[in-house]
Amino acid sequence: MNCQRAALANYRAIPHHGRLFCGRTHASGGHGQTMKAGLFIATAVLYALACMLYLFLLTRGAERARRLPGTVFVAALGAHLAFLLLEGPSAHEMPLADMSQILSISSFGIGIAFLLASYRFDVTILGAFVAPLSLMLFLASGLGSSYAPVSPPVQSAVLSLHIGANVLGLVAFALAFAAGLAYLVQERLLRRRQLSGVFQRLPSLDVLDTMSLRAVLVGFPLLTFGMITGTFWLLRSNGSHFFVSQALGVVAWTIFAGVIVLRVAAGWQGRKAALGTMMGFLFTLLVLAGYAMRAAAEGG
Amino acid sequence: MRDFVVVGLSHRTAPVEVRERLAVPPDRLGEELRQIAAGGRFDEALLISTCNRVELYATGSDPIDAAHRARAALATRLLDSAAEDALYQERGVDAVRHAFRVASSLDSLVVGEPQILGQVKEAFDAAKGAGTVGTLLGRCFTQAFATAKRVRNETGIAEGTVSVSSIACELAKKIFGNLEGRRTLLLGAGEMGESAARSLRQTGTQLHVINRSEDRAHSLAESCGGRAVPYERLTLELADADVVIASTASPKFILTPEMMKGVVRSRRHRPLFIIDIAVPRDVDPRVGNMDNVFVYDVDDLQQVAEENLSVRAREATLAESIVEEEVGAFLAWRRSLELAPTIVALRKRFAEVAEQELQRALPRLDGVDRAVLEAMSRSIVNKLLHQPMTQLKAGAGEPDGALLIDAVRRLFALSEEDPGAQAASTDGANEGKVTQLATAAAGSSGEST
Repeated sequence: MNCQRAALANYRAIPHHGRLFCGRTHASGGHGQTMKAGLFIATAVLYALACMLYLFLLTRGAERARRLPGTVFVAALGAHLAFLLLEGPSAHEMPLADMSQILSISSFGIGIAFLLASYRFDVTILGAFVAPLSLMLFLASGLGSSYAPVSPPVQSAVLSLHIGANVLGLVAFALAFAAGLAYLVQERLLRRRQLSGVFQRLPSLDVLDTMSLRAVLVGFPLLTFGMITGTFWLLRSNGSHFFVSQALGVVAWTIFAGVIVLRVAAGWQGRKAALGTMMGFLFTLLVLAGYAMRAAAEGG
Repeated sequence: MRDFVVVGLSHRTAPVEVRERLAVPPDRLGEELRQIAAGGRFDEALLISTCNRVELYATGSDPIDAAHRARAALATRLLDSAAEDALYQERGVDAVRHAFRVASSLDSLVVGEPQILGQVKEAFDAAKGAGTVGTLLGRCFTQAFATAKRVRNETGIAEGTVSVSSIACELAKKIFGNLEGRRTLLLGAGEMGESAARSLRQTGTQLHVINRSEDRAHSLAESCGGRAVPYERLTLELADADVVIASTASPKFILTPEMMKGVVRSRRHRPLFIIDIAVPRDVDPRVGNMDNVFVYDVDDLQQVAEENLSVRAREATLAESIVEEEVGAFLAWRRSLELAPTIVALRKRFAEVAEQELQRALPRLDGVDRAVLEAMSRSIVNKLLHQPMTQLKAGAGEPDGALLIDAVRRLFALSEEDPGAQAASTDGANEGKVTQLATAAAGSSGEST
């Protein structure tokens, strides 16, 4: 995500319109805006509803409505997809070129990846941790009504690769985070001998640990690739400033590298690995937040 | 009138020494039943024999007498007059309720345990095989199974495990996910440890047994399907195991933090679940503070068991109300099978048909003596009913009498709910049915002539 900052550094005098949910200049016209606003609200409400239902299922164990949260979550993803298509980039525009879209796509990707993971592992209940992440990123994408777009002069294929890899990495780390968080909750309950309710409904420690490890193993190469392309792009576009976000990105990369090395070389498992993974994800979120804030500031 | 009796003893009334004297192995159940039914002259008989209860269900035309005979049948098998006090008995609706509660696991030692339903079903099948189940017991137990299913589905009575071994297994599953291919190390030869190891073995873990006495280790390993390992290899085995069950008689801690530190390092932080069933404890509680090491002692497991039990107790009240509902439904069916009301209803039904036809025919006939016609129709009804009535009265006393009554009620659409009220009142819907029946009968006779 090193690029974004540089992109904004190059961003100078693109005329900026007051936009509703994202900064796509082609998305104009009162009717389209109303529809977008409606879809945005519907998506957010569905995500929020899914969050509540998942949390209810986790804490109360509503046996009769076991499948309901998942259904609502899929509905939220459907609405989200419609929203994404509605505001999709036109042919001459680069996809994923502004912060709002990056956040929105990340939120969507996390949901999709979670659904896929639910097929692989029996972890539907983790929606209680994943759905709030989706909701948070989606709301953040809407908040940024004033995120500045990347200026056309700095757009390039390398930039697209960079952003794409990082978004996918973020999605993988989000799943690792959810699994890690569930692991910590589960381990705490086990140690405190609180074995009814939540403990019964969350997956086993082994499944959570394995899932977290696999997600990190998927995310790490993507993050690495993202960093390389980012640096490459940065050098080529002559942006030479080194900012907080880049530093945070390096920290996140180091943490994940450390988690993987310790897991593989020293057999690290369980609580420490979960804590490391969660920390790494929080740093990637900080990187994103840094860019978002910068974009918001630039966008005015 | 025929009614139910149950005589038996269970964990509530008799210690195991007494219960085992009455227990009948499953393969001998049928033969034993035939003997009991013949010896006690019961219409129907069914024998439930589990490790926690032996109960004889029977029906007889004189329930009080049948209860005596059932009691005598079990008492002679007890061979001990003192132990006879352990026998309890219920009659009529109480016997039915008892059957429903037993099948629903409300009367079990561990309320909600799932095995009892299967055992009752086996007893039922054995009795059917022996030919000692008729309409009454048949209907009673079929409904008992339905009740048990409702209780299982509609209440949380069977939720949460309550035995120490199964709790240990569940916990291991919550830590390791799939237990297939994991390794359990049984340390010591305590009885509870052995049963926990057995349960874990059944979930597919390998089992290694370590004991100070090598002979004991070997015999234990053999009986549980594990492998005996020399005591000197303890630290190595600890490094390889996933679950450790400690149940030695050692007066002091065997697994100390100092020792476990090396073990944890050599096992590269893989999770280790230690179940300390020994009293005094084998595992220093500080071991439980180590990373990826989880220690549960016997109190922890017991506490979990008690929590689960209290949940079950709450659900049991709900289950009792389901049982009451089902008993009510059974009684309604039962009442419908009584002979006297059935005869009254049957006569009334025939008389009604005759009267109706008479009313229809009279206006179309001139100069007929009304009294003659009435006498004729009455006489036809009586003649037609004579044979069925005789058969019904004779058959009602037979073992399958209820079936006969049931058949009559269905053939002539005599309602099940309340035969008494039915006999006293005439209601439109039934009237319609009767007419249909009469027309149908007339039609078919018309064709045949």
